[in-house]
Amino acid sequence: MIDERWLQALGQELARHRLTPEMARHVVAEAAAHLRDSGQPALRAFGTPQRYAAAVAESLASRHHPARRPPGRVRLRASQITKRYGRRTVLRPTDLTVRAGEVAAIVGANGCGKSTFLRICAGLLSPDSGEVVVDGVLGYCPQDGGTYDFLLPEEHFVLVGAGRGLDRARSRRLGRADAATLQWEPAGGVQARHLSGGTRQKLNLVMAALGDPDVLLLDEPYQGFDRGTYIDFWQHVWRWRDEGRAIVVVTHLLNQLDQVDQVLDLTPGSREVAA
Amino acid sequence: MDQERRGQWLRGVLDVCVLALLARRESYGYELAQALDRAGLGQIQGGTLYPVLLRLQRTGLVAAHWREGEAGPARKYYRLTPSGEEAVRRLSTEWRAFAGRVDALLMEEVTSP
Repeated sequence: MIDERWLQALGQELARHRLTPEMARHVVAEAAAHLRDSGQPALRAFGTPQRYAAAVAESLASRHHPARRPPGRVRLRASQITKRYGRRTVLRPTDLTVRAGEVAAIVGANGCGKSTFLRICAGLLSPDSGEVVVDGVLGYCPQDGGTYDFLLPEEHFVLVGAGRGLDRARSRRLGRADAATLQWEPAGGVQARHLSGGTRQKLNLVMAALGDPDVLLLDEPYQGFDRGTYIDFWQHVWRWRDEGRAIVVVTHLLNQLDQVDQVLDLTPGSREVAA
Repeated sequence: MDQERRGQWLRGVLDVCVLALLARRESYGYELAQALDRAGLGQIQGGTLYPVLLRLQRTGLVAAHWREGEAGPARKYYRLTPSGEEAVRRLSTEWRAFAGRVDALLMEEVTSP
């Protein structure tokens, strides 16, 4: 018996690893032929779809990372940003410069000012001192909140799209297309307040990226995402980078850090930018 | 032999063994797995074998095409390319030299007082 569900899951995982549809079809067909010939259960012969897809992707990837376009002009420059709440210093002088085609990660312990710094970069909060210069259109995805309880997802798309010069139909279409890439199909008639936490975050992410802003500020946007969607999220990040956007991601998950262009650690005492 | 060590040893030479089998004639994944088993290397799972084949294909040492079987599904057949043939010759010489040195060392170890 062929495990159709395993093969289907393999196809999805291969797509996540950005294999071309044709290549993915060949890999799945070859696995199916092997299962038929050997009569083995898929899990025994190949392991989980996730692991096998990762092994396939690795053997297809060249050892060297493909040459990337050199980073473009500076899209975000935050200089000597400080912030205090009462007597508590949240941010000591902090700098961050991100160019077009770069991803910066902001890391650090809880309460070290990651979200505060991002909100200052987004212009939602004033710093006590320092300056933020943004070149281009900015999209911001908050950690939570940011959605309107009594509006439908599509109404969110239209609202944000209007601010970026898109008409209603185009906003809806782009929003739905982006949602689909996060494994989400906004059902008609469900207000934001009735969405699950993870789905609300997808809505936030779609809004932030709608209309291809030049600078994307993302504050741990994947909370409540399942594992597959989490991978999809990082695929988006790499695509946005390759398209020449400047991206800042607040994260506490460190397993992506070797792939980003710079890491800003806001943990007190460990202030340095690693390349 | 314990499975972990067998796996470690195999990882180093599985691609060479696959190339050597393909030097005899073109073949597909499951047939290669059976041949490796018959050769005494034990069961190689698909999850291990196909990534090796894909890597060999990517690096141009083998070429592949799909062919309908007489009965049953189409299979992806692999054969050596000219650079694959050259690689087999070079790798088997290198392997024999390497294995010979390990043999000599182990011999010395067990025969010395």
